[in-house]
This record gives sequence, structure tokens and C-alpha cells, in this order.
Amino acid sequence: MAALGLLRKHTPTLLRDGVRTSRTASAILTAPARWTSSSSSVNADEISHFNALASTWWDAHGSSRILHLMNPLRHDFIRSCRASSPVSSTSETKLRYLDVGCGGGIFAESAARLLDTSTVTAIDPSPMILAVAKRHAQKDPTLMSTQKLTYLNASIETLPIPTSPIEQFDIVSLFEVIEHVDQPAAFLDRCGAFVKPGGWLVMSTIARTWTSWFTTNLVAEDILGVVPKGTHDWRKYINEDELRGHFRGKSEWGAPRVVGVVYVPGLGWKEVSGSEKIGNYFFGVQRIA
Amino acid sequence: MDGLIRSRTAAAYVCRSCTRRSQRRLQRDYSSAAPRPDTYDVVCVGGGPAGLSLLTALRANPVTSHLRIALVEAQDLSKTKSWKLPPNKFSNRCSSLTPSSALFLDKIGAWHHLERSRVQGYQEMQVWDGVSGARIEFDWAADSSPAAGTTIAYMTENLNLTSGLLKRLAELGQVSVFDNAKVEKISYGEETEALDLSQWPVVHLAGGKQLHARLLVGADGANSPVRSFAGIEAQGWDYGRHGVVATLEMEGEGWGGDQAKIAYQRFLPTGPVAMLPLPGNYSTLVWSTTPENAALLKSLSAKDFLATVNAAFRLSPTDLEFMHTQGSGQTDEYAWRMEHTPVDHQAIPQTAIGVQEGTIASFPLKMRHADTYIGERVALIGDAAHTIHPLAGQGLNQGQGDVQSLSKTIEYAVTHGQDIGVRMSLEPYLSERYAANHLLLGVCDKIHKLYSVGSGPLVPLRSLGLNAVNAMGPLKTFIMNQAAGNGIKVF
Ligand SMILES: Cc1cc2nc3c(=O)[nH]c(=O)nc-3n(C[C@H](O)[C@H](O)[C@H](O)COP(=O)(O)OP(=O)(O)OC[C@H]3O[C@@H](n4cnc5c(N)ncnc54)[C@H](O)[C@@H]3O)c2cc1C
Repeated sequence: MAALGLLRKHTPTLLRDGVRTSRTASAILTAPARWTSSSSSVNADEISHFNALASTWWDAHGSSRILHLMNPLRHDFIRSCRASSPVSSTSETKLRYLDVGCGGGIFAESAARLLDTSTVTAIDPSPMILAVAKRHAQKDPTLMSTQKLTYLNASIETLPIPTSPIEQFDIVSLFEVIEHVDQPAAFLDRCGAFVKPGGWLVMSTIARTWTSWFTTNLVAEDILGVVPKGTHDWRKYINEDELRGHFRGKSEWGAPRVVGVVYVPGLGWKEVSGSEKIGNYFFGVQRIA
Repeated sequence: MDGLIRSRTAAAYVCRSCTRRSQRRLQRDYSSAAPRPDTYDVVCVGGGPAGLSLLTALRANPVTSHLRIALVEAQDLSKTKSWKLPPNKFSNRCSSLTPSSALFLDKIGAWHHLERSRVQGYQEMQVWDGVSGARIEFDWAADSSPAAGTTIAYMTENLNLTSGLLKRLAELGQVSVFDNAKVEKISYGEETEALDLSQWPVVHLAGGKQLHARLLVGADGANSPVRSFAGIEAQGWDYGRHGVVATLEMEGEGWGGDQAKIAYQRFLPTGPVAMLPLPGNYSTLVWSTTPENAALLKSLSAKDFLATVNAAFRLSPTDLEFMHTQGSGQTDEYAWRMEHTPVDHQAIPQTAIGVQEGTIASFPLKMRHADTYIGERVALIGDAAHTIHPLAGQGLNQGQGDVQSLSKTIEYAVTHGQDIGVRMSLEPYLSERYAANHLLLGVCDKIHKLYSVGSGPLVPLRSLGLNAVNAMGPLKTFIMNQAAGNGIKVF
């Protein structure tokens, strides 16, 4: 309590920000960008921060551990999304993935290993991180020989928009990405164009609340040190009702599915219903037209 | 990347022509002419009960059946597979399989490949203290369990089990088997421009064959070469005891007949002696005793051996000790001493009247526990991970528990796209099994120590019968829970 009181005294602007956005749910998504860098969705400072992290990306026992621990839940979430709908993007069993902001390739590699995957296209704007991802994939001869996994040094803006469903993807994933993006609304619309009708846009991010500021910025980065410092800019966090608001009323998208997850030290990530309001959560929407 | 940096720094210390030569080697590796390394998802060293069960479990599960699997075993597995004995002959290496082990073997489709007429369930256990006579009964009535009549465990010849597993594996197919093959060494793979196998264990077989392992499983028994390769220490001690085994012919099929077989164990100051039922009139003996006593027992004539075995369940420890000082003549000594020893026949095994030729053997007993069961691209199962005193008949069952857990862990990793060899994928196996195994190792170790102290402060306590009840209590609970938890008859 004492700590929280102290924080409040020193962060009046943050508090105001929070109040404003919670009143107008999707304000942050539709407001003109506060930080812009060229035509890309990606913030230049963010890229250099992740460049600096590149070497530790695959250290599953160090600073990237909680990211690695979360990865299996991503697959569980995608499966639950696909199982929830009678409509599918494909009559075949094999899926095409587009992983946007793939980083060191934790998700991309795992998706490419699944037997029901046909291809994974994984993109990231940071050449350094992509070099780490490519080198890491060489540790797995099966990944290399099946050639399902393709890494591209690109942002979603530089990828040409598909012109037919064959070029589109069954799953477009944005894991821990949206909170690092300058213009989330435009970014989501752009990503949506890559989803095949019947396919899913899936993401995970963190809600912008006092709890998430406390747990991700203060506890995870500063106190526990389980997340590298400077990874999160709390002001860019997006709440699930804001994401819902973005897709509401758009006829090509179905009703979103949201699952909150909580990291319990010693136990790992656990699904906790309702926790999407305060911390990390998965968000999935199916493209229905 | 690491390797590239390493070779660049190395180049600073070597002459230029050498650098050029090594560059040329790099290019050759990269070109298609270089032989592609023979890579497997799982290389299992050791085709004993643990290793064969793991491979069967992986092959029988549709989720993991696509994995590329190799088995390396020093012995000739075709002999094991075609193992056959006449119905009145039994191997001396028998283990009691708990119902949960049997159910697992059934689930992976192996149980019905065992010669079932050679498997004997038992429904009751009688355990008592040789000094005080204090007795603890393991039966369902005493436990007033709803599952009364349930089998506590199934006595099975180890060869019946491994032979059945091999038949099931052959039915499933697609395992590269290298038997009669000794592991010469284990090293790490190489890093080239195209592929980085520097963290992949490579198993080298005599004759030059090399197997690259995404996951190297050590199912290679108590002296596990895989464990040494992984640099995993094992803690423990030798008991200074040998386990003497033999296949015995009894005067009948047991006091309870064919339907209610009983296992017996008596704690002597030198260690426990157990008589475990086999089909018909047969039983298997496991007698933990000093190496000197073991040597004597092996040197005796069949008649004298039988007299000493019968004495072990009937005479006082002092009488028994005396019989071990005789080079021969135990038969007469036993007959004379029995005239003065009242016994409740129903409470002890029937008299052993014959010993099958060539079945008397002995094994040194030890307790070992590896510091961990996993490393990067390495997992240990069965006796490679832990060796337990045979007094509770749990060694092989612990291995089955390991196999269940590791195969489940691998299945989870596969369905979530994880590399099944990396330590993080293997962590659930370690956390599920380590504490459970440690507890059981500790319980059996303590019991052995309580009883094998010949003199000193523990003895008066023991002769009051306190320890018999106290020490066996938790083990009884464990064994009965294992059996009752399943409640299902596999036969
Ligand atoms: C006297 C006695 C009685 C027992 N009674 C019971 C009982 O009643 N119940 C019970 O559950 N357990 C019992 N056990 C324990 C049980 O026998 C073991 O726990 C079990 O056999 C272990 O199986 P495993 O597959 O782990 O190892 P092992 O059976 O030891 O198999 C290891 C295999 O690896 C192979 N190998 C080793 N090194 C190499 C190499 N370098 N290259 C290639 N191959 C190699 C070996 O040839 C062997 O086939 C008893 C043990 C003893 C000594």
C-alpha cells in the first residue's frame, strides 16, 4: 500500500491518461499517433531495444523464461478458437501461419514443428533479431529439412496485401506485439487483410491497468527482474474492451474470444477467468467474411 | 553464432595455410557431398524393461508415433524376443509389477504379449520381524478396503516382460534397433554453416555408426554411460549386501490355493528374505544377506541350500547364524533344530522341496539416486536414474512410473511444437518424478537400515516390535494404495 501511495504522488499524468482512456473505450486505438516513425507501425526505439535483447532471446532459463513458458498456451488458445467455430478457413487439415513480430522465433518455430502446419511465414523488422531466429532454427535439422518456416525481415506494411484467399493465412498471430506498436488501429486493419475468411487473427497483450503497471513494469522488470528493463511502455498497453471496440460493428469479424492468463511464480502461466481485465490476455477474432 | 565466433578467434593463433584448410573443410561440410548426419528424435540407450517400455509407449501413441526412434542395446535382442521356457521352469529374475504398472503396459498394448500363464498375481502379503516376531499383514480384510480381493502385485519374470515388449514393438514397427551394439563413446555434434548440432549428443557405436539425438534417453541401468556423459552425479551407497535369487519348487500351490496367493517377507538381522509366488507350486526367492553368506549359499548342495532357505523362514536368527558357519550338513542340522521349534505353518510359506538347476545367483545391492533426471537433450529413466533396495519390490515399477511420465511429457511437447530435447520441455518429467522416487528410496533405505543393524541401540527397540510396525506402516500404505488406486483386474 505504501508503495502504491508513493507511486501515485509521482505519476499524476499517467493517472490522468488512464482515466481518459477508460472513459472512451477505444480512444487510444483511434486517436492520432503520438509517436510515429515513417510509414512503419513499429517504433524505432522499440526496435533498438529488442536488438539489444537479441542474444538472450533463446535463453529459456534466463530473462526470456516467462516468454518461453507462455508459448504452449498460445497453441492451446489457437486450438480453442478454432474449435469454437463450425466454420473453418480450410477444408484441408494443414494450416498456413503468418507470425507478425516473430522476434527470436519462439512461436514461429513451434508452429512449424506441428504436424498440421503447412507453412509459417514469420516477419520482424529487426534484422538482428531475425539473424538470431534464423541461426536458432539451424539447431533443428527437421525445421531445416521440412522447409515449412520462412523468416522475412519485414513489417506488415512492407508485405504486399494478398489478393486471393490462397495467399492469405489461416492464422495471423501478433504475440506480445500490439503494445509495441504506434498506431494500433491501422496496424490491426493491415494485419486483418492477411487473414483468410474463416481464419483467425490471434494476439496476446497486457491490459493497461494499475495492476499491470505494477506487475509488469515494477515487479517483473524492476523488482524480480524476470523481464528485461525497458521492455514495456505501459502507456501503450491496450485493454481488452478497447480491442473489442475496434472489431465491434465490422461485419467481416466475428465475436472476439478473450482468455486472461496469470503468471504464478513456481507454477507458470495459468488461465484465470476475469484476469484479462487486469493483466495478460489472449484475444482472438475470426474473419467471417 | 557462437561457433563462428570461436573459429574466428581460433584463427588468430594458427598459421594462414591452416586457416585456409579449415575454411575449405567448412565449405565441404556445407556442400551436398557431405554426408547428412543420421539424426533421430529419440535415441534410447538400454533395452531393459524401462527403455523398451518407453519406446513402446511412444510408438503406440498416435501423437508421438511419427518420431524417429533408435534403440541401442548391448545384448542380443532376438534371443530375448524368442525367449521360451517350458511351463515348469522359471527364470530367476522376477519382479513384482504393481497393478498401475500392469495397466500402463496394457494401455500401450504390451500386456497381452506376455505369456500370461507365467504371470502370478498375489492378494496378500505377510511381513514379520525375525527377532521379535512382530507381524504386519498386507491384506484387504485387515485394511477393510472396498476393493477386497484385489491383486497387490503380479510376479513376472523380467524376460517375460522384455520379450512381450519386444513383440509389441515389432508389431508397431519403425524403430531402428542396434542390438549387440556397445556404445563406444558419446560426444557432441558439429556446427556447420547450414546446421548447428553442437548441442546434439552423438552416440558412437563400435563399427563407426553415429547416431545424432534430439533427445538421448539413458535407460542403461545402474552404471549408466549416458548419465556419465551428461555429467550427472548419483548419490548413494552400497549396502554391503547381496541379493540371492533362486526358483524354488514348493510342497503345494500355497495355503490359499490358486486364487489367494501370498507373498512372504521376514526381516533378519542380515537383511530381509522374501518368498514370492509363481504359478502352480513354484516360488521365487530374494534373500538379501552378507556377501559371505551369499557365497556360502551358492556353494551348498541343493538339499543343504533348501534346508537353509526353509530355516530362514522358521528358525531363530541365532540358529540360522549357526547354520551359516557350516560348510555342509545343513539338512540334518535343520531337521534336528525344527524338532525343538514350534511354528504356525499357516503363517509362513510352505516348505521348499526343490530348487531349479542353475537358478541360484546373487547381485550386489545398492542405493543410488541421480542428482537430476534431465539435462539439455538428455533424460534418465529406470535404474539409470535410481537404484533401490529390492525389499519393497519397487525398482522396476519406479521405472514404469518414469516411462509414463516421460512419455506424457514428450506428448505435450509434440502437441505444442516444442523441441522435445530441450531442458525446458523435459522439466515436467523431472518435477513429477523426482520427489516421488526420492520418498520411496528413502523409506526403503530406512527400513533396510533399521533391520540390518545386528547390535547397538536399535536392537532392543526392534525386538519390542516397535519398528516393525512403525517402519513398515508407510510402505504398507504406499503399496496398498498403489494397488487399490486401480481396483481393476488386468486379467
Ligand atoms: C535381486 C533383485 C531383485 C529385484 N526384484 C524386483 C522386484 O521384485 N520388483 C521390481 O520392481 N524390481 C525389482 N528389482 C529391480 C529391477 O530388476 C530393476 O529396477 C529393473 O531391471 C531396471 O530396469 P532398467 O530397464 O531400468 O535397467 P536394466 O534392466 O538394468 O537394463 C539396462 C539395459 O541397458 C543395457 N546397457 C547398459 N549399458 C549399455 C551400453 N553401454 N550400451 C548398450 N546397452 C547398454 C543393458 O544391457 C541392459 O539391457 C530387483 C533387482 C534385484 C537386483
